[in-house]
Amino acid sequence: MISLRGVSLVYPNGVRALDNVSLEIGKGDFVFLVGHSGTGKSSLLRLLYREANSTAGEIVVDGIRVDRLRRNRVPALRRHLGVVFQDFKLLTDKTVWENVAFAMQVTGAHTRDVMRQVPRVLDLVGLSHKSRMYPNELSGGEQQRAAIARALVNNPKILLCDEPTGNLDPVNTTEITALLQRINLKGTTVVVATHNQAVVDRMRRRVVRLEDGRITTDEERGYYYLGLGQGQVLSG
Amino acid sequence: MDSGKVKFFLGEVLRNFSRNTGMQLTAIGTVAITIVLLGLFLFVRAALADAGNRLLDQIEISAYLRSDATPAQAAAIGDFLAKDPRIASAQFVPKKQGLAELRTRTRGAIDTELLTENPLPDKFRIKVRQPEQVDSVAATVRRLTGVDNVVYGQKIVQRLLALGGVLRRVGIGLILAFVGVASIIISNTIRLTVFARRREIAIMQLVGAANTYIRLPFICEGLLDGLIGALVALALLAGARAALWPRLLEALPWVQLRAMPVDARILAAQLLLTGVAIGVLASWISVGRYLRT
Repeated sequence: MISLRGVSLVYPNGVRALDNVSLEIGKGDFVFLVGHSGTGKSSLLRLLYREANSTAGEIVVDGIRVDRLRRNRVPALRRHLGVVFQDFKLLTDKTVWENVAFAMQVTGAHTRDVMRQVPRVLDLVGLSHKSRMYPNELSGGEQQRAAIARALVNNPKILLCDEPTGNLDPVNTTEITALLQRINLKGTTVVVATHNQAVVDRMRRRVVRLEDGRITTDEERGYYYLGLGQGQVLSG
Repeated sequence: MDSGKVKFFLGEVLRNFSRNTGMQLTAIGTVAITIVLLGLFLFVRAALADAGNRLLDQIEISAYLRSDATPAQAAAIGDFLAKDPRIASAQFVPKKQGLAELRTRTRGAIDTELLTENPLPDKFRIKVRQPEQVDSVAATVRRLTGVDNVVYGQKIVQRLLALGGVLRRVGIGLILAFVGVASIIISNTIRLTVFARRREIAIMQLVGAANTYIRLPFICEGLLDGLIGALVALALLAGARAALWPRLLEALPWVQLRAMPVDARILAAQLLLTGVAIGVLASWISVGRYLRT
């Protein structure tokens, strides 16, 4: 589903965000990207939805050579992806329903499909009863659920989450984590960049660890800290 | 296209349009001022061109004959003039008639009774077909045997012809300058509205909206700015014409201005189109610039 081979990313200001990264993520996988701030987690996600482009290497997402994608083909790529951020990125002057529908409407979806799809995803994230409220009237967790509903409304095969619980309290964090797991169970590939130890340790899923733009470990059922399962805590 | 889509799209355009009222008013005002200036200019230019053409049409050449010219010579000159294709009409005016005309024209200010003899020579009164040919016809006539002197409004003709050319060139330059300035101001205004909506644009790009789709509401916004601005300008121009033009006509009877030197419908259509074009062009440029980065 997602494949990176020898991918490097050097930003125009000379910062080397990723250095020769190779990674395979299969269909229906659930993957945590962990590491300190500035180790390249977000950069890696940005490459996948082509917010940035690699300076070297090969990136394939759902059969699309993303690194070679022409600019005018980028919208088509993004319709196959759902992206969720720490700051939700909801439009404050639109209701929950309108925010979710917006993602379909601006890609030219038929009203018929919008009317069918929006209630479905709102039900999935448990926001049906608040669909007429505005983002400011919702809790952080509810806002993030609305953002997830928007990310899912076009039926993407892949959901990318950049610090989805970064702004949330523990209770809401648990809710969102459970929601992501449910989405994954329905067959969506989920990639979560996070530095929330509790989330990672509770889930016990695949953990890819980044340090200074390189992948240092890749465990099938990992913890946030390397080797914690074996009773050690790695410093740093 | 289903009606829900259209409704959503129009809703978005109207929502954006009504949200940044201040900026929209700036853009509309700019278009309105531009179109008013443009309209005034086109109107005045048409009026001047019209008046100029009328003056030129009235230009006639007076070819005075030598006092010793024989009737045979005069007849020969008449024949020659009748054959020249550039000449519309050539009329022989004997000196007696010339004096009578002078008397009428001066309304008795010159007492012709005091004259012991008629000082006027015989003359031909010549009208040309094309105002531009006055000079060459005059030169030809001057060389004819028996012609003493040729008089016509040389200076007026040359000035009017030159004025026409200058007006045309200055006009095109001014129009381009107007449209350019308006486009820059509107594109800046639209850039502000683009900036105000950068979150929305970012989300549209994130969920995979096509660039054309992102651009379209802004283009419509520019179109509305242009259209409304042009309509305001038309209203102002129509009001100004109704209120001021008749007085101007009264004040300057000798300029021979017509009540309406241009077809109002054509002028209105031109101005509306210009307004819309400015709006669309400006928003296209500013959104394009934003999306490319």
